[in-house]
Amino acid sequence: MTAPSAPLIELSNATKRYPGVLALDDVDFRMAVGEVRALLGKNGAGKSTLIKVLGGTERLNEGALRVAGKEVDFRSPKDAIAHGIGTVHQELASVPAMSVAENISLGRWKTRPVTGIAWKEVSTDAEAALAHVGVELPLDAPLSTLSLAQAQLVEIARALSLGAKLLILDEPTSSLAVHEVDLLLQVVKRLSERGIGVIYISHRMDEIERLASSVTVMRDGRIVGELSAGEATPQRVVSLMVGSVDPGDPVEAIPTDAGDVALSVAGLTIPHRVLDATFEVREGEVVGLAGLLGSGRTEILRAIVGAQHGATGTISLGGKPLRRRSIRSTRAAGIFLTPEDRRAEGAVVMLGVDENLVMGNWKKVATAGVIRRERMRETVTATIKKLSIKVPRIDVEISTLSGGNQQKVVIGKALNTEPRVLLMDEPTRGVDVEAKAQIYTLIRRLAASGIGILVVSSETEELLQVCDRILVLRSGRIHENLPIRDVTRDALFEHMIRKETDD
Amino acid sequence: MTSARIEAATARESGTSTGLWVRRHANEVGLVGAILVLYVVLAPLAPNFLSSANQFNILRDAAFVGIIAWGMTLVLIAGEIDISVGANAAFSGVVLAMMIRNGVPIVLACILVILLGTAIGLGAGALRALFDIPSFIVTLALWLGLRGLAEVMSSAVPVVIPDISFQNLGGGNVGGVPNPAIFMVILLAIFIFISRRTVFGRSVYAVGGNAEAAKLSGIPVPLIRMGVFAITGCLASFAGVLFASRLGSGNSEAASGLEFDVIAAVVVGGTSLFGGRGSMIGTLLGVLFIAALGNGLVLMGVDPFMQNVVRGIVILVAVFVNIVSTKRLARAR
Repeated sequence: MTAPSAPLIELSNATKRYPGVLALDDVDFRMAVGEVRALLGKNGAGKSTLIKVLGGTERLNEGALRVAGKEVDFRSPKDAIAHGIGTVHQELASVPAMSVAENISLGRWKTRPVTGIAWKEVSTDAEAALAHVGVELPLDAPLSTLSLAQAQLVEIARALSLGAKLLILDEPTSSLAVHEVDLLLQVVKRLSERGIGVIYISHRMDEIERLASSVTVMRDGRIVGELSAGEATPQRVVSLMVGSVDPGDPVEAIPTDAGDVALSVAGLTIPHRVLDATFEVREGEVVGLAGLLGSGRTEILRAIVGAQHGATGTISLGGKPLRRRSIRSTRAAGIFLTPEDRRAEGAVVMLGVDENLVMGNWKKVATAGVIRRERMRETVTATIKKLSIKVPRIDVEISTLSGGNQQKVVIGKALNTEPRVLLMDEPTRGVDVEAKAQIYTLIRRLAASGIGILVVSSETEELLQVCDRILVLRSGRIHENLPIRDVTRDALFEHMIRKETDD
Repeated sequence: MTSARIEAATARESGTSTGLWVRRHANEVGLVGAILVLYVVLAPLAPNFLSSANQFNILRDAAFVGIIAWGMTLVLIAGEIDISVGANAAFSGVVLAMMIRNGVPIVLACILVILLGTAIGLGAGALRALFDIPSFIVTLALWLGLRGLAEVMSSAVPVVIPDISFQNLGGGNVGGVPNPAIFMVILLAIFIFISRRTVFGRSVYAVGGNAEAAKLSGIPVPLIRMGVFAITGCLASFAGVLFASRLGSGNSEAASGLEFDVIAAVVVGGTSLFGGRGSMIGTLLGVLFIAALGNGLVLMGVDPFMQNVVRGIVILVAVFVNIVSTKRLARAR
């Protein structure tokens, strides 16, 4: 390879192992100067590991990383930054109370003896960095007063002021409001014109089409396709991402001429996230809510139980509109949510399985506020048996259980509230294959008992396996309502990533 | 991989029943050991340390700390803190004495004062729960305000309670056991029950362990938070009543620094400052440890300033051990 054509970065034969998982399997990856590369792949395909390796937070087990032709070994993000690789994560790394200027030179503020920080220079540097990005922002404004998109631009400016030649953007538009996306796309375009390489993780085909010069698709820790922008049609991308894995048969296709409408949602709107969502879930029906990260799927579930700020619209249960919408009143009415993040929202990890199981409905085991041990043991034992949760003792701390068993406890907690409608956000995240199958069967069994179930999942296979019907959410709107027998895996994925103009 | 993890978890949980009991109560077992060591060290060094009269003294000292510490344990488990308790106790004593001097019957005065203390705690809890003002700030303001109010009301001079018989309540004893210690034990039983067997008590653990999960489960998080502060308010004013009774006066300077003894005892007892973890038995042992340590240092004739140094070091070591063990537990999972 001759010097002028040395790639910006080059990863060769890269392998990264985690216990039991091969996250990167002999990957070759290179970026040219000024290239914008879209990186696609399903959850667990290896995208995150790849960008972590490039960003210096993970080290390779095997293989080599070269920057401008020279082999490097990043031990920390600092090393990566020193070699001109900057990462902007989904979770922004800024200080909300500090000004835009301070955030841009965070921790590197120029100082003078005696007088301390040279505010003038901090401001001029920030101004220069923002000019480089091509935006104007109020330098003195605290970051917390900016929009999320603007805060992202501040991080990009910081990365550039640190000398980034390669910018990694991890799902940058997933949490942006629709009108903010354009601003970011313009910035990325401008940067690439100036010779800065950008790795862009996103699944929104319209963005990819507008931006990317090439597309890399990963699956199971390998790169399964490198396409030029022209070749990357949604159909091709989807078939590469999904591969030819057998999606598995739908779990006991129980007929769904199911009962009356259990839950109906009308005109549900969440400012900047969800627009006018209207749908219903019948008794005994499992309805899937499909959409990319940031499509508003989680927000819809949270809004139904009254946990989402600013949501408007009508939620009715059994035909009766709910007047008050708080978590407590929707629970009392018979709607319960199992949240996507078990550790943060689903379970109290310091408490036992028994208490986690009854926490949603103490009345079941207590009289006048006093817990009846006998009733507690009976209820808990019955739930554990019903869901086949594996526990050494009923009061064992939930944190000692496997992910699958923890998830079953969270589902058990929901069942003990005797719900008519169950909302499940990513019911099998972080759960092994065997437990997944058990949870699918469980979902079908619960539906057969008359509960209406709404499932959100980023895994299309999962939705295809358990649902009777799938709603597709794109940019905050419900675009399709697909009966399960009419939809294939590829078609579903295409619906999820399709451009608005295709409609 | 998963089945291996389950086996490992099962292995951790199994073993002989005694071994299991010890592992699950490592904190309490460790504290009993620490108290024994303390007794072994102090017995020869501190004159009369082991005499029954002195042991009752330790119990009496422990009682004022312990009564409030039961409530403080719940406050800390809920992930909050209440530093207003000493000032609340002093304020309650002054109000009580002034009421009695103005002809309010003693029993009624006691009830009113305790209700007032409870209401003050409830108010502090409401500011925390409904307006998200950090509990440290709310109770810091109360700490200043209540002590100041007590000083203004009494001109910083003890308000003597004329009825001598009232001194029996906090100063008397039953068969040598000081009355406050009896109250402490009764309240301990009540709080063990609350913390283990009531929906409120378990909800306190849930809120402190994971407020978001508690909220999504429909637990009334704001009410639980208000409840724990109402309880410390109630107990602080009750301790204030006992103080006033023992001293025979309402004293605006009484119980100074009590809040720190209480919090230290709770933390030494193994309750997590981050919420979600803690036990009443642990707090009892923490209270006894702090009381015995203080008593021993006095008997040894250690310089009072030096006593503070020693107590400071002991508290620091206890918190250090608590946090290191918490982190190790987190890593083990």
